[in-house]
Amino acid sequence: MSPAPNRDNQKLVDRLTALVGAEIVHGDAVALESYSRDATPLFHGLPEVVVTPRSTQEVEEIVKFAASTKTPIIARGAGSNLCAATVPLNGGIVLSMNKMNKILEVDRAQMLAVVQPGVTNQTLDETVAKEGLMFVPDPGSKNVSTIGGNVATSAGGLRGLKYGTTKNYILGLEVVTGTGEVIRTGSRMVKDVAGYDLTRLFVGSEGTLGIFTEITTILNPRPRAAKYGVAYFTDLAAASNAVDQVVRAGILPATMEFLDNPCILAVEEFAHLGLDTQAGALLLFGDDGEPDFIDAAVGKMAQIAAEVSGSRGVTLAADTAAADALLYARRCSLPALARLGTLSILEDISVPRPIMSDAVKGINEIGKKNQVLIGTFGHAGDGNLHPTIVVDKNDERAVHGAEKALKEIFEMALALGGTITGEHGVGSAKLPYLTARLGEGQMQLQRGIKSVFDPAGILNPGRLGS
Amino acid sequence: MTDKFTQSKLDRCISCGYCLPACPTYQLTGDEQSSPRGRITLMRALQDGKMPFTDALEESSFCLGCRACEPVCPAGVEYGVLLEEWREISWQGKNRPLIVRGLFEAVKSKWRVRAMGVISPTARERKADPNLNLMMGCFERVLFPKVSRTVARIAPEVSITKNQGCCGALHAHNGELERGKEMAKELGEKLSGTILTTAGGCAAHLAAVIGNERVNEFSQWWSAQEKLLKPIEKNGKKIRIGFQDSCHLRNGLGIFKQPREILKSLGDYVEIPDASGCCGAAGSYSLLQRKNSRKVIAKKIEDIKDLNLDYVITVNPGCTRQLATSLRRSRVKTRVLHIAQLIEMAVN
Repeated sequence: MSPAPNRDNQKLVDRLTALVGAEIVHGDAVALESYSRDATPLFHGLPEVVVTPRSTQEVEEIVKFAASTKTPIIARGAGSNLCAATVPLNGGIVLSMNKMNKILEVDRAQMLAVVQPGVTNQTLDETVAKEGLMFVPDPGSKNVSTIGGNVATSAGGLRGLKYGTTKNYILGLEVVTGTGEVIRTGSRMVKDVAGYDLTRLFVGSEGTLGIFTEITTILNPRPRAAKYGVAYFTDLAAASNAVDQVVRAGILPATMEFLDNPCILAVEEFAHLGLDTQAGALLLFGDDGEPDFIDAAVGKMAQIAAEVSGSRGVTLAADTAAADALLYARRCSLPALARLGTLSILEDISVPRPIMSDAVKGINEIGKKNQVLIGTFGHAGDGNLHPTIVVDKNDERAVHGAEKALKEIFEMALALGGTITGEHGVGSAKLPYLTARLGEGQMQLQRGIKSVFDPAGILNPGRLGS
Repeated sequence: MTDKFTQSKLDRCISCGYCLPACPTYQLTGDEQSSPRGRITLMRALQDGKMPFTDALEESSFCLGCRACEPVCPAGVEYGVLLEEWREISWQGKNRPLIVRGLFEAVKSKWRVRAMGVISPTARERKADPNLNLMMGCFERVLFPKVSRTVARIAPEVSITKNQGCCGALHAHNGELERGKEMAKELGEKLSGTILTTAGGCAAHLAAVIGNERVNEFSQWWSAQEKLLKPIEKNGKKIRIGFQDSCHLRNGLGIFKQPREILKSLGDYVEIPDASGCCGAAGSYSLLQRKNSRKVIAKKIEDIKDLNLDYVITVNPGCTRQLATSLRRSRVKTRVLHIAQLIEMAVN
């Protein structure tokens, strides 16, 4: 939120240009302004220079230079993150990794891929699909977000319950640490316990421990079929109950996504799918696998959803195209909600799934109490909720109400044994709440860890471990 | 004259970046400032006075204005309008490209537009259905006079008058938004009832000003007539046809199914990869940004070559010119025709 120091950047630009060439060093006002935001509202800060490296060696040279001059480096993928993890609040170098976007290897025999960090989720998944494989992590923004960003935030997505998230799929990394040293963590093997699991430590490190230059990821066989359906309920609590019943029945579906009424309205306005806009909640459910198996599982889910109290009806998607349209619409929930106001603040709490309905009720009460509109959607299968507060940014009372509501939502999540962020990350937006989540002891350990990897404190300073 | 962006339109963008994969210039450079999201970030800085408008002129010109970012935007950002405002604010005085000034002069009045048609034989004047009037286009008159003659032959119900001006799309897209709107209104008053146009770009601009219900693009109109067509054959085989969308027709008016349906009935229809992606013509862009325009179309030309098509069909004169020129330069034999011309081959 604080503006970047408005230093004359010419000296920095000249030195970097001499080091790695003018082609990848951008110091003009237009470039700086363009990289001053990510997808988090209210955060803005100008970098002093933008660098777009093409190789590990260039990254190494830049980091060594930054370490020797104590210049901050903010690594960035697609800039689609939602916690202000890539806004350059302290000036410095924005290291835009999206031009290192090659898929280096797809190994069918070992079921893995080796990629550069700038490859997008969608591109990787579409590429491996040709080999009958699937890249599993599936963030809502997959058409734009990069694998490097996935690793930096341990991104989740729409199928966490059955498949887990990014952390479950990264086998190894090539990383440039804060001293400019290039290390290779992990390996190509699923089993490898030689030493501390540094790979897992880097996953979710938000650019504070090192810059990823190569990522080795597990691939799954591509499921032969998938089937999806939509169930409507009077409210989110009824939908939560249905989710609970499904899991209790021994079904572990790939996808259980829900939207409350404001979300249904916003998504319908964009996607025109004929959703039931009178419903209090929508549950998008589905599974993938062998055709017979998913027929049975999805049939059973539909039956449960139709029988719980508060059900308003269930329909199954007629074909893949219809299912894809539903999933795509769900992915668009957040930006579609932006239609309802001029400021949308999205949150990302996670709570144990069996008490999800308590969280949902709590969110509604918090919204009413602070007189702000909160649209909630989320990954019902894994207890990860995205309450989104939508207000008019010029309405001071509403903006104040939104801030208060946010704080209360975090407090509620922690009181329920949940967490302040399930998949978006801490960044700058949630840093004020991190101590409440981890405690001072763990915070100290985190700072200690950062200082080992980044003794000069140049990697995304002011964020995790700072 | 506008000197500020409409703030509520800027506020719509939440910087999610879902537009990035749809943007042709972002695909070329991979630089944030060449993306719709990046450009809106720049517009915000301009609006707040953090940056002088002259600093960002290059990006306002590099944008094709194809509006491919609009249908993919869940937040409903009206990027096309914002771009028009941007150019209205900053393409003034010496910052207006010379070519644009020349084009404006050429279409300044009805007689000038009419004079453009004198050197090329366009359709003749006639009175038919008073509530269905053909828009003659300005540059189409000169470049592709055959198109209006073809429409005159295959749609006898259409009334034709030559005494009409430019629709103002040219102005709206190049920094004279208000004048562009006035010209559309004038044309709407001059031509009664439904205005039939063979140019997707003109259709979208006209419709935005005088209302969708007053404007019919030719393929949209034809598909509603339900006239049966027989497939066209060449050497005993159905012709192979591809299609290039008109950006504003597709992204502005949502018309892209109708021409494809017509073409499927006329031969062996093949979807060109990224047919919905801009061909780089983009109105005056191919004149103002020749190098970039060529970069944008390069992949498309390779794709068309690989598909071994007999015809690529268009619904906008700018696209016809761009495709024909580029295919010729690359020695690809595929012919480029307006959809009305292919329909006529089936009618005969």
